[in-house]
Amino acid sequence: MSHQCVRCSRIIPQGSKEILEGCKECKGRFFFYIKDEQLEEINERIIEIPAEQRKSIEKDIREMAGITDEEAPVILDIESIRVTGEGKFELDLAKLFRRDRPLIYKLEEGKYIIDLASTLRVNLKDLKEIRNPDEDEIDVRKK
Amino acid sequence: MVAKALKNFFKRIFSNLFSQKRELKLGFYGPPNAGKTSLANRICKDFTGEEIGNVSKIPHETRAVQFKEKVEISYKGKTMTFKIVDTPGIATKIDYEDFLKYKLKKGEAKTRAKEATQGVVESIKWLDDMDVVVVVLDATQNPYNQVNITIIGNLVARKIPVLIVANKIDMKKANIKKVEAAFPEYDVVGISAKYGKNLEEFYESVFKLAKRV
Repeated sequence: MSHQCVRCSRIIPQGSKEILEGCKECKGRFFFYIKDEQLEEINERIIEIPAEQRKSIEKDIREMAGITDEEAPVILDIESIRVTGEGKFELDLAKLFRRDRPLIYKLEEGKYIIDLASTLRVNLKDLKEIRNPDEDEIDVRKK
Repeated sequence: MVAKALKNFFKRIFSNLFSQKRELKLGFYGPPNAGKTSLANRICKDFTGEEIGNVSKIPHETRAVQFKEKVEISYKGKTMTFKIVDTPGIATKIDYEDFLKYKLKKGEAKTRAKEATQGVVESIKWLDDMDVVVVVLDATQNPYNQVNITIIGNLVARKIPVLIVANKIDMKKANIKKVEAAFPEYDVVGISAKYGKNLEEFYESVFKLAKRV
């Protein structure tokens, strides 16, 4: 059985030294067991976005996040919140707990929302303003 | 020699004064409906006379971080000042249909789900700001789940002192032993926030933990 780091959500292969020594990336020492069928699922999710769509999605995300630098890396295969329907949400806690990743909502294939406030690392004091992310906060853009 | 002893004496007095004056941020984290707000309410009510927020049988009642500053907790003649931070419950899945059985209307349930999701994000964002965290678990539920492990794992990674509270011990189904077995490296205190049972042990553990900060 493989493992997943609780802290940085990295997948660590079975029998890796990292289980004893801590995650190479974040030094975390907490791991989930990942069953083989779950691992397959995770791997499948990563290739969910077809190559031809990647460019346009990437463009959308750059626009939404206000990234003008074409060279700045944008990670496409992470989503911290998946919207599976109206009023239905799945949250990836391991990803949400990571401080270095922006908050990304995934609505359905090709539709993403990036929480700009979390991306730009606002102060805790400013948090109140990102409450109630209704229509004006959640900006749904089709690809 | 005398001067040195005197200096040390004053240093100790001053550092004690400062450590008492400093407001420690005490966060309440955990899954929905574990009793975070009930416990925070009890503490705030006992020491300030005011409650912090509403409680409800419907999960995700707290959907925004709520806090109370300068809460002076006294226990066995000692007093410490805390900022009590009550956070929305952390979950991996929030589905409006789960709220319908509590007789919520569809629209209300959907709004609740959306706010609850945002609440989880907010809870996690506040985590870095906490000095001490009390993880409130429902002792009638299985403690081995992704939410509990992720919260505790991340607290440890951030080197934030943790106290685990097994709430609802007034209920027949409650099993503190199971919570203790799940998290053997941590202090686990069984309480009933609703009836104020075993709070002395809770305060003692909080003080012990706060000293480590």
